[in-house]
Amino acid sequence: MTDKPMTRGSMTRRTFWIALLMVWSLGPMLWQLVSSFTTADALVNDQLSFWSRWTLNNYRDLLTTDPPFWRYLFNSSFVASLTTLLTLMFAIPAAYGMAKLPDRWRGSLRAAVVGAALFPYVLLFLALLELARTFALGNNLIAIAIPYSALSMPLALLLLTAAFEALPNDLEDAAKLEGLSLWQRLRWVLLPLIAPASASTAILVFLFAWNEYPVALTWLSRSDLLTLPVAMARIAGSSTYSVPYGTYAAATVLGAIPLLVLVLVFQRQIVSGLTNGSIKG
Amino acid sequence: MTMLLAAPALLLIAVVFGWPMLRYAWLSFHADSVLTGLEPVANGGANWLRLVADQRFWLDAGQTARFALISVGLELLLAMAIALLLHQRWRGRGAVRALTLLPWALPTTMMALGWRWIFNTPYGPIEVLVRSLGLNSLDLLSTPSITWLVTVFADVWKTTPFITLILLAGLQSIPEDLYSAFRLEGGTPLQGLRRVTLPLLLPYILLSLLFRLAQAFGVFDLVQVLTGGGPAGSTESIALYAYLNGMRFLDFGYSATVMLAGFLLLTALILAGTLLLRSCGLLRPLDR
Repeated sequence: MTDKPMTRGSMTRRTFWIALLMVWSLGPMLWQLVSSFTTADALVNDQLSFWSRWTLNNYRDLLTTDPPFWRYLFNSSFVASLTTLLTLMFAIPAAYGMAKLPDRWRGSLRAAVVGAALFPYVLLFLALLELARTFALGNNLIAIAIPYSALSMPLALLLLTAAFEALPNDLEDAAKLEGLSLWQRLRWVLLPLIAPASASTAILVFLFAWNEYPVALTWLSRSDLLTLPVAMARIAGSSTYSVPYGTYAAATVLGAIPLLVLVLVFQRQIVSGLTNGSIKG
Repeated sequence: MTMLLAAPALLLIAVVFGWPMLRYAWLSFHADSVLTGLEPVANGGANWLRLVADQRFWLDAGQTARFALISVGLELLLAMAIALLLHQRWRGRGAVRALTLLPWALPTTMMALGWRWIFNTPYGPIEVLVRSLGLNSLDLLSTPSITWLVTVFADVWKTTPFITLILLAGLQSIPEDLYSAFRLEGGTPLQGLRRVTLPLLLPYILLSLLFRLAQAFGVFDLVQVLTGGGPAGSTESIALYAYLNGMRFLDFGYSATVMLAGFLLLTALILAGTLLLRSCGLLRPLDR
């Protein structure tokens, strides 16, 4: 399918489709980028001359509001990092345990975990909110990492169990003969070997926590504790009549930059995580 | 011993996924709203009777199913085309693949308001374009028969990369030899797609279909921010209706009933889909 020599016509056609794909994927974000540098007047008036359309004020406004925008970026980074750490701490030993279970147990356990991974978790928000109220976990950036870890646990378990199952048994047997304890085997033999799967899991969990909306919406209400998705939605809701689009566009740009970096740097891990999670899981 | 290692994580899953379902089942047989002073009071099957007669719920259920089926269908077609494009070898393919992932990685709420700006009447670029062509204003965000298509569009934009990746992994698992053999026997590329690629890709297609249908059925972030369920409730989903019942009308008993009913409907939808595919013989390759 690929080794056939291509004619000039089919090459041009392919270039056209690739260009179209890029416009489709990036166009809306580029539009936000342009809007973020456009003055409020120019956004609603296309008669203005080219040179009077541009401004940096949208960005200045973002950084001088109370709380300043970087606060939301900080909150999201904090929650997402903590969630990732917590999830891996629970999921790595659990995945090892699941990989060692006898087959008949493992099958039904895996079915339950797959079911949880498929579940549209937004339906859980009411009961989770009740738990937050009962145990006074609302408005707490550390506490919210608990439901986040639990919600990303099914995917983490599927990915990591598959990684442990792929390791040859001889390896661990040899380490056992050397007299290494369970903890030592995990730490010095198995953990380095599943590092790629752990990295994939970590980046997917991080992205989930960074983007999560319904739980954050119900658990966090203090304006200085909001995560990015909720803060964005609040800008939309607070001013129903005139959403400050220029400022909002600037917020999308600033909020997208960390993700842009993450996706470009961890592309390989994201791809292998998503594909392994769905195929082996 | 090994079971002990797995226990904390499994317990966490059981609490966060299992407990809410039990709680909803219990709450759905109680009145728990402002009228009862936010204390649960058993009310028999009143919530369920109300649900059966609740036109808004059934309308939302239909809208949710329509949204899920059409967006996932479009995503699958588009992802198939993109995956075939990305599967070919050309310079810069890795960078393009990374950039196409970007829409999937952005928070839904963030782009939802971006879409509100882009589809806005009269200042959004789409509207400006339509007017410069001398056509009538589309009023994309305030016409009930059109706005739900905007939500479909936004969902397709965001989640197509996810399906693309799964299908791409599937394509890469098909050995090249199969195509060479097929060509030697005189098959055309289009026949190759139909007779070699699609059958071998089927498990991947079904898997992404199942996962995406379940997620799209729970659509919440997108409609809450982009349309707020409007205009005239035309984009309201089951999850949004449950949210409004709980957080705006403070009727927790009924909110729990709506969520449980939504879950049951989704399960029924998936079961019906599985049976349908099985009766067409499409699942046979998976039963091995």
